[in-house]
Amino acid sequence: MIQIQNLTKVFKKPIRKEGVLGMLKTLFSTKYEEIVAVNDINLDIADGEIVGYIGSNGAGKSTTIKMMCGILTPSSGKVLIDGVEPYRYRRKVASKIGVVFGQKTQLWWDIPLIESFKVLKEIYQISDADYRERMDFLCDTLGIRDFLNQAVRTLSLGQRMRADLAAAWLHNPSILFLDEPTIGLDVLVKQRIREAIKAMNAKYNTTVILTTHDMQDIEDLCSRIVLIEKGVIIYDGPLAEIKHRFGDLRTLTVNPKVEYVVDELNTFGGKLTYLQQESNLLLKFNAEELSMEHVIDYVFHTLKTADLKVSEITIEDVVRNILEEQEA
Amino acid sequence: MARYIKLYFTCIKRSIITRLEYKRDTFISIFNFFLTNVASILSIWMIMESIPSLNGWTMAEMGFLYGFSMLPVALDHIFTDDLWTVAYFKVRNGDLDRMFTKPVPVLFQVIAETFQLEGLGELIVGIVMLSVCGSMVSVTWTFGAVFVLIIATLFGALMITSFKIIFASLAFKFKRSGQLLQVAYNFISYTRYPIKIYPAVIRGLLTFVFPFALIISYPVEIFLFETYSPYLIAGVIVAASCALFALSIAIWTFLERRYESTGS
Repeated sequence: MIQIQNLTKVFKKPIRKEGVLGMLKTLFSTKYEEIVAVNDINLDIADGEIVGYIGSNGAGKSTTIKMMCGILTPSSGKVLIDGVEPYRYRRKVASKIGVVFGQKTQLWWDIPLIESFKVLKEIYQISDADYRERMDFLCDTLGIRDFLNQAVRTLSLGQRMRADLAAAWLHNPSILFLDEPTIGLDVLVKQRIREAIKAMNAKYNTTVILTTHDMQDIEDLCSRIVLIEKGVIIYDGPLAEIKHRFGDLRTLTVNPKVEYVVDELNTFGGKLTYLQQESNLLLKFNAEELSMEHVIDYVFHTLKTADLKVSEITIEDVVRNILEEQEA
Repeated sequence: MARYIKLYFTCIKRSIITRLEYKRDTFISIFNFFLTNVASILSIWMIMESIPSLNGWTMAEMGFLYGFSMLPVALDHIFTDDLWTVAYFKVRNGDLDRMFTKPVPVLFQVIAETFQLEGLGELIVGIVMLSVCGSMVSVTWTFGAVFVLIIATLFGALMITSFKIIFASLAFKFKRSGQLLQVAYNFISYTRYPIKIYPAVIRGLLTFVFPFALIISYPVEIFLFETYSPYLIAGVIVAASCALFALSIAIWTFLERRYESTGS
């Protein structure tokens, strides 16, 4: 059970001037600017939920996660993990949580993977029986058995991420924080990681807080999403609702071989918008209102496109749509 | 407690495995440490060559002092070397994130991170210097003197560690405190010359502010000149280093909460 109450984090940064002279002035300046990374957010997350915590770069996702796992101390407000503040009683909370930062490994770089696990076993005081049972489970679900004896620095990104996930799960935490666990991975590894998360959630009822830029991660895993923008939560609810609100948005990227004027193209009665991007033409429409077949037929026969790419809605689109809706 | 001892040995084992991954690097580090010490000893020797005696001290006595000062330094070096990386990089790069999410004190994890093999060599060189130079001068190996040697080595290392903790923890406030730590640490090298040659200000600084004279200069004078009561000096060393250690833990605990990690 995670409760977040009026959580705010402000970073103080000295106001810097550019150049060498400017840097010297900064040394003697007492002026600070305040950057509000997280602004008065409230959130309750129940046991066993998988929550997608999403937003654009710099929206405040990582800062919130770091406060939830006790790395950062909030400027005001509080986080309660089973009623305890993690940054104040770090050791008490630390054994209940597991953390994966996609950008940084938690493992020891120079030693074989299995040695890292042995150190973690001591740190979390895992009994031999539990250790064996979980290692078996993790080896099977994440497929890490093959490189257990390799030094972490020799692992590929996909292998390392799976190893990191295993390391975060070894002590069977009741809450798992995953900060961009699929960043930079190929489709197959992403798939494997998602399946592992689902399996672990099902088996141990682990609460998962996941940040990602990958819409597929969210669709596969999260029953609930929390959207944050500029430190403020702009949406908190089921994913289905967002889909319902904005429809099944698709973007077609085409490369027309005929001369055209954007304003004269067929908009199918206003259901389709065009956007020019270098030599490409982007078509945005809602696949529930307008059949894909008609659009594709149009771009092939009238626009004579040589190439075609279909993409689904991105997180950036969702954020933009919600912000537009709130302004309206 | 038993848990931490067991954990400490697990971590040390890990650290040694790491060092053995890079055998050549380890060898170069050991050689580097050796050269550094030979160079310092040579520079003292060159000074002593050009003057008949330094405030009444002979070369052998200077060597004894040097060897004595190496013991607490080596001990601290072996066990707490990672505090340097905290001061220089780890806070700034956000490398402490993983330690902050573990159910063990961060400072413990930092200290358990490295077991510095080079320090063992330093310890051996110190002991050799101490016994060779000790046999060349009329050192009085009384029970009290040996007692002071042991206390000064163990608690002296604790005092050096305390200073390292204090200055490394300033990194939580300033992001980087390596240079500051270096300045404080360099005060140890002043004690490699007889303290009487310094003006009163430096003597005061080395006795009361960075009290490395307490753990090196005064105990050595007990051996060479039997100037002070060994038990009095031992008592002062224990009291000062325990007080400093308590202070360092308090400062670290207080500043640790200001850790900011990095942007990603």
